Amino acid sequence: MIDSDKFGELVEKLHTLLGSDYVTVQQTDKVLNAHDAWPLSEAKIRAGELLPLADIIVFPSTTREVSEILKIANKFLIPVIPVGGGAGTCGGTLAIYGGIQLDMKRFDKILEIDETSMMVHVEAGVVGVDLEEYLNRHGYTSGHTPTSVRSSNIGGFIATRSGGSMSSLYGKIEDLTLGLEFVLPSGEVIFCKPVPRHSVGPDLRQLFIGSEGTLGVITKATLRIFPLPEERRFRSVSVKDVSTGLEIIRKIFRAGISPSIIRLYDPEDTAFSVSTHFDVAEGDCMLMLAFDGSTSKNDLDEATVMEICIAEGGNDFGAGPAERWWNHRFDMYYPSPFTTSGYAIGDTIDVVATYDKLENVYHSMKSAMEAHEAVVLSHFSHMYPNGGSIYMIFFTAQPDAESAWATYKKIWDDGVAACLKEGGTMSHQHGVGLSRSTYVVDELESAFSVLKSIKEKLDPNGIMNPGKLGLEVRK
Amino acid sequence: MNDEMASDVRMCAACPKMCRHVCPTFFAWRSDAPTPHGRALLLHQEIKGVRELDERAIQVLYQCLECSHCLTWCKPEIDIASIVESRRTELAEEGRQPTAIKDLVSIVRSNHNPFDEPHSKRLEKLELPTSKNPDIVYFTGCTSAYQEEEIANSTINVLSRLGFKVALLEDEWCCASPLFRTGSLEAALEQANHNVEILNAHSAEKIVVSCPGCLRALTIDYPKHGLEITKPIYHISQFLDMHRDGLGETDPSIQVTYHDPCHLGRHCNVYDEPRRVIESISGIPPSEMERNRENAMCCGNGAGLRLMYPDASKKIGRERIEQALRTGSKLLLSTCPFCKNLLKQQAGDEIEVLDLVEFVDKYTKDVN
Repeated sequence: MIDSDKFGELVEKLHTLLGSDYVTVQQTDKVLNAHDAWPLSEAKIRAGELLPLADIIVFPSTTREVSEILKIANKFLIPVIPVGGGAGTCGGTLAIYGGIQLDMKRFDKILEIDETSMMVHVEAGVVGVDLEEYLNRHGYTSGHTPTSVRSSNIGGFIATRSGGSMSSLYGKIEDLTLGLEFVLPSGEVIFCKPVPRHSVGPDLRQLFIGSEGTLGVITKATLRIFPLPEERRFRSVSVKDVSTGLEIIRKIFRAGISPSIIRLYDPEDTAFSVSTHFDVAEGDCMLMLAFDGSTSKNDLDEATVMEICIAEGGNDFGAGPAERWWNHRFDMYYPSPFTTSGYAIGDTIDVVATYDKLENVYHSMKSAMEAHEAVVLSHFSHMYPNGGSIYMIFFTAQPDAESAWATYKKIWDDGVAACLKEGGTMSHQHGVGLSRSTYVVDELESAFSVLKSIKEKLDPNGIMNPGKLGLEVRK
Repeated sequence: MNDEMASDVRMCAACPKMCRHVCPTFFAWRSDAPTPHGRALLLHQEIKGVRELDERAIQVLYQCLECSHCLTWCKPEIDIASIVESRRTELAEEGRQPTAIKDLVSIVRSNHNPFDEPHSKRLEKLELPTSKNPDIVYFTGCTSAYQEEEIANSTINVLSRLGFKVALLEDEWCCASPLFRTGSLEAALEQANHNVEILNAHSAEKIVVSCPGCLRALTIDYPKHGLEITKPIYHISQFLDMHRDGLGETDPSIQVTYHDPCHLGRHCNVYDEPRRVIESISGIPPSEMERNRENAMCCGNGAGLRLMYPDASKKIGRERIEQALRTGSKLLLSTCPFCKNLLKQQAGDEIEVLDLVEFVDKYTKDVN
């Protein structure tokens, strides 16, 4: 924290730059802006704990203003924490060392749809659902609809390398982002111009996608768009175990078919999420699928997929479970008396691995997490030709805050250790933020030095979102 | 704040913001402060003894339109608007209301309307009916009496055309909706008691209101506080729906869209009646905005917001106009004088904004 004289000078400079309506040092604003969607933050809020607060919040609306803010922050050597929708699940926007929260919500303009090149130019603070509704109105989809879509922003999607529920077909945000406008910590504005492919050295765009505010600030982006599919068709098949389900998924991709949704629920998640509405044999797993496209294409894809499923002993459940999941996919995200009672806390460790390792990662993580008396439910979703992600969802309830937070950490530590030991990668789409910051060195191994060197070069004063992504961790 | 409210704000305070995208004040300010979960967090921390409400926190509680749009999107059905109103009532008792609200209370107490107009001029702009033995009391509400007199005059015309004898009350007082919504309960009940007394004493058998705020006050707020009106009360859209056959016809080529006022829709559950009236006289249903019925966006003119934060209020109203324009309609109809007033101001000459009863009065030709 800087001394009060300098702080006054800093606030004055920010006031001059942005106007008094867009700079606040009010305690109430700081408290309300600290709230992201990290389950630990949410549990602490319920328990009556205060989260770490920024010293100042600023609400710029132009790239020039962002640039000037970063120049000022560099002069005052004060941390800058970019905030999008405040919907991150890893504590990535918590101001753990104080500083300036740079709130991007006023970057809320959808600039242009380019129907010739099938892309849309947007500002970083546009809320996901607002973009999707806008595109739908014009006959398109972003293909990017994570569960957080009502609260997360475009900039946050890109900053965390997020994935939507239909990433198997449309891709994750790193596949969907064609161009970027980015403000470096020095205040310099750079552009990664939208092109479908290039061969001009490394893809610098990918350096900033997933940088979580540690290398600068995303101000604008160009995203791919797709025509709205003629239909989305659902199909569900129960299988005897996880292994059979994964075999079916592999064969679907080998057949050249990319369903928009592929979700394989393990026996526990099937019992919790599916058997409460459909008559599934105990111990079975539910495979849920959706096909986006024309009726004739979906007819062909669906028939081929069903042949594969039946050959592997699957039981056809029709559209039911998959369609129900789609229609209720936001339900799990709401708080309920069950998930929020006492010091109950749940979270998801979303990991990713290739098919040769995926099943071992699942079993190993499940054992490690259950060793702490956690209830663990899992599903495989966001599947690709070479592998996919596992959602390791856990719940724990302890008698007091201290033991609840400690148990939560042990489940995370041991779950991630098990994932890494089996060759998995510890985050598929939620990013790293604060919750996974301590695992980055183990995850990246020797490659971490590259990330660290880049950080030191681009942000020599270490002002950008310190403590996140394993970078600039302070005592 | 009772235990149920405390439990509700505890859940809402730590929600991953599942309703924020429809909150009009989030739209206006683009900040996490004036949001449902923001208000809940302030109240939760106060209940837990973590943090008292400071001046800015009180401001945030008064930046709520109480439109209840968040409730439409809340799976646990947490009614933040009601909780905010409850805390506003306590703030009034503690003497901690914002100055603008204190001034409003004083104005309504003196003049019986929120516009600081003389009570004696309440009926001055209206074409008074001369019927003897009236069968309907028309409770005009303050906005129709002082600011949107076309609505009141159209109401009188249409009811007369339908063959009803209409009475107006010289001593009608503010229904107290703005006072209930801003937590000024004591002053609200003064107005309410007076209105109950004169309405119950009147010989007419029915009451018709133009304003959904009045409807909610008379049919929900008054009974909640033990004040019963002993005759049926209808919003004009409900009454017109009951007498659709006599309303005449409009030119079906006039494309119309309809804005659901929060007090009529989400708070009094009246969605179909105005639509049936429109379809009945136009021959076609209204062209719906994407956000309609339970999911309709607030116009921005409620619960004291326009009084305290006119710029935010106008920004919200303008967005609702943009949504109406996307339907391609020539006419935007509402059923609330308060909504009409703000929407018309924000529409400029891009779309004509009328109340439903004005549409019936001015656009129909008698089929007989």
